[in-house]
Amino acid sequence: MYSKFFLIFLFSLFASSTVSQECNHLITGVVRDAQTGEEIPYASVLISEYSKGAVTNDAGIFVISHVCDTSFTLTVSFLGYEVYENLVSVSNDQSIVVELIADSKKINDVTVTAGWLSATERLSQRIGDEQIQYDVNESLANMLESLSGVSSLKSGGGIAKPVVQGLYGNRLPILNNGVAQSGQQWGNDHSPEIDPIVANTISVISGVHAMEYQGRSLGNMVLVEAKPIRRHHLLSGKAGYFFESNGRGNGVNLALQKYDPTLAWKVNGTLKKRGDQHAADYYLTNTGIEEANVALQLEKVINDRWSLDAMLSSFNTQIGVLRGSHIGNLTDLEEALERDVPFYTNDYFSYDINAPRQTVAHHLVKLQAKYFKDDHTWVNIVYATQLNNRKEYDVKRLGRSEVPSLSLQQFTHFIEAKYSRPVFNAWRLKTGLQFNFIDNSNDPETGILPLIPDYYSYEMGSFATFSKHIKRWYLQIGGRYDYQMQNVAAISNSIPREIIRYNNHFHSYKIGIDSRYFTSSTTEIIGSLGIASRNPEVNEFYSNGLHQGVGGIEEGDPDLVKESAIKGSISINSAISSKLQIESSVYSQYIEDYIYLQPQDEIRLTIRGAFPVFKYEQANASIIGADIMAHYHISENIKFSGQYSYLRGNNLSDDVPLINMPSNSFSTSLRYTKEKIVFIDKLSLDISQRYVYQQSHLLPEQDFTEPPEAYNLLGFQLTAQNQIKQMKVNSFIRVDNLLNVSYRDYLNRMRYFADDLGMNVVIGLNLSF
Amino acid sequence: MKSTSIYLAGLVIAFIALTSCEKDDPIIPHEEELITSLIYTLSPVGVGETVVLSFKDLDGDNGNSPIISKGLLKANTRYTGAMELLNELEEPVHNITDEILEEAEDHQFFFTSTVNDLQVLYSDSDMNGNPLGIKTQLATQGEGTGVLKIILRHEPDKFADGVADGDITNAGGETDIEVIFEIDVQ
Repeated sequence: MYSKFFLIFLFSLFASSTVSQECNHLITGVVRDAQTGEEIPYASVLISEYSKGAVTNDAGIFVISHVCDTSFTLTVSFLGYEVYENLVSVSNDQSIVVELIADSKKINDVTVTAGWLSATERLSQRIGDEQIQYDVNESLANMLESLSGVSSLKSGGGIAKPVVQGLYGNRLPILNNGVAQSGQQWGNDHSPEIDPIVANTISVISGVHAMEYQGRSLGNMVLVEAKPIRRHHLLSGKAGYFFESNGRGNGVNLALQKYDPTLAWKVNGTLKKRGDQHAADYYLTNTGIEEANVALQLEKVINDRWSLDAMLSSFNTQIGVLRGSHIGNLTDLEEALERDVPFYTNDYFSYDINAPRQTVAHHLVKLQAKYFKDDHTWVNIVYATQLNNRKEYDVKRLGRSEVPSLSLQQFTHFIEAKYSRPVFNAWRLKTGLQFNFIDNSNDPETGILPLIPDYYSYEMGSFATFSKHIKRWYLQIGGRYDYQMQNVAAISNSIPREIIRYNNHFHSYKIGIDSRYFTSSTTEIIGSLGIASRNPEVNEFYSNGLHQGVGGIEEGDPDLVKESAIKGSISINSAISSKLQIESSVYSQYIEDYIYLQPQDEIRLTIRGAFPVFKYEQANASIIGADIMAHYHISENIKFSGQYSYLRGNNLSDDVPLINMPSNSFSTSLRYTKEKIVFIDKLSLDISQRYVYQQSHLLPEQDFTEPPEAYNLLGFQLTAQNQIKQMKVNSFIRVDNLLNVSYRDYLNRMRYFADDLGMNVVIGLNLSF
Repeated sequence: MKSTSIYLAGLVIAFIALTSCEKDDPIIPHEEELITSLIYTLSPVGVGETVVLSFKDLDGDNGNSPIISKGLLKANTRYTGAMELLNELEEPVHNITDEILEEAEDHQFFFTSTVNDLQVLYSDSDMNGNPLGIKTQLATQGEGTGVLKIILRHEPDKFADGVADGDITNAGGETDIEVIFEIDVQ
């Protein structure tokens, strides 16, 4: 025991000799089990204020360099333990002892998952409170874009869904507090109905870790989670306000919470309103958005063994779709492509939202009970229900614009039981059973034949994962099986209209292994290999009709088979010196029977003219990519960061590129931080640049028009933190597209019609009390 | 172990019981937005045979191909044109021409032909004095063959350059109808 403290002492000595400047502290500490006193290796340690982290070594010791203040919030997490979060202050000759409590009262699963990711990985694959606070005006998908390997598929400024390593939509489930977000994931113009401010942690997970969740992924998942209520016995909270110049948007957020073991509660509400956005040179008429969300979290500890919690949330939004993007047929599209400024562009600003528009309401109720048999064995039971109500309005005759063209309702019920205990020789087993029921219905109020039919879907799945630390290795192996039944009731194309029924049964599997090897306390190598299969979704089978948003006729194929994928990846995360950190990863995925929308040679003649026909087809595909990220501390106050992403998707069967794959990009940023400057406690200034290449890996016949040219955007951000008595005041100003560049992005469908967003100045204020 | 088996068996039974439910029959919507038929009746001024150009797609966008008639017109003749739009899927047949008339300012038909000297002129107008195209005059001159294209635009800019004269170039809006008839002028 003493020898370990001696080691820490040595570390400190070493540190103080190399880093002698003031305000350039080295933080050291040891992480132990509170009960046994045993050191915990590979626990992740994070200083949230600086997004700095480390992993404890074999002896449970961690070292974090370049810390500018000796008081900070320290978060320590490890599998099977409660997350330790505390405001600590240390002086130079002192180190921290963190005692983790075995996860006996911890309710939320996020603590367990967090322990499975090392601190370095978490830096790049996770977005926390602080960043969400500065990106408060953005949607979930846009926030995720700052992670390496993540981009977003957009339909204008208000609609965006995340793309992770080339996969999105049906292949990328989004888990809202552990429950697969239900909704109309199939549409590229349907963004996930989640308020990122309510959910204060967003992360991308992959490999074996992702196997414990139900959702039809081919590897990656997006986790959106509300942190457990802070162990703070007084009423505390947060209030925030922002204004954005582009669209003259305003937003307010208020969160209040109080912790008490008998009943802890947290309530969070958000209101947002924005009008027409502006491209570099003109207004984007009808691109306003309105949002009102509320969420309630409850936690109750019954006794040492039982705890309960509940989450209720309601998300409500109305989104305008660029008026000029509403087209009739192929001729209209060709005409739109010819224009510099879209049709129906007003030369004035307005908050009005008219057709085409979407209104979506999403409600979630989640109840969870956790039972601890002993310190290492627990059972977790969840019931969740969701209601998703989506209406899309088109421009119609005789005031029928008030009648939706698409009106879908989706109910889901989800039941889950998870169980974890140590097995064999110190392996940890995690296993579970999940059942999910979806009821998807079209409301006939539309007066239009539905694009996707009504259906029931029943899913039952089971998984088991094993994990263990062996010396410098951390191993995880796991498998998952899902059975799905689809009961579909479609309406025929032929007249008289009649009901056609389909019953489908599927079995899908996942198997994977992840290994993490720590070559030293500063370098880790992560290797991952997995296979997965995915059923065709109802839209891929039975889509039928005109997809107004896409201006094409979409046809499903009832004879599709499931797609199977194998994916391998290697990541190396290393702190080469105290000044340089590098995170890099390469991945390769082969997908057999990849389902995609193939434009057909046929042009369908209708009374409204000719339409292109898209049919769901299958081919073997491959996606390979690499992401690299580096941080270099030029001096104690200045940090340089760089990031590069490469991705290439190919349809191997037809020897052509895959469509809708993200362009390669690189970004750099320079951050200056300073403590105690004038009246500001902590100031940080960021200048950033992001260059997106043209998507050149595409054949001319694969799209209506050439992919947009490469572009480069500059950004600027200034943040200031002040502590006024018990209140923490955070203010920021951020400028996106600083030079007001006019550009179009390949993954934004609006590119056919209009330029992307011009300069946006966002100012915000946050009070924590 | 025994309790686990019972538990699992119970789950399987519950699952089978639940999955035996069938989704209810969906209500087939009244397809009131649909236009199935366009009928352009050309009555010669004076003597001659009435010509009916019709485009009918009775089952909507998908399913069977539309039935399109051909037009046999007389050379050097003036016709009075009347446009009729129907939704023949509804019972009784829904007349969409009335809806267009009611929203005349938001609609306009455009006529273009590849037949030499075939001309279509508007003989109606909306509240603002701009043409609509439900009522037209069609005049032929010499013999020839080609096509007549009829386009209906919803929310065009009817005040834009040339639009009132039947030039679609600056009209914008979205296409509600676009049909092409083969024409033979003899």
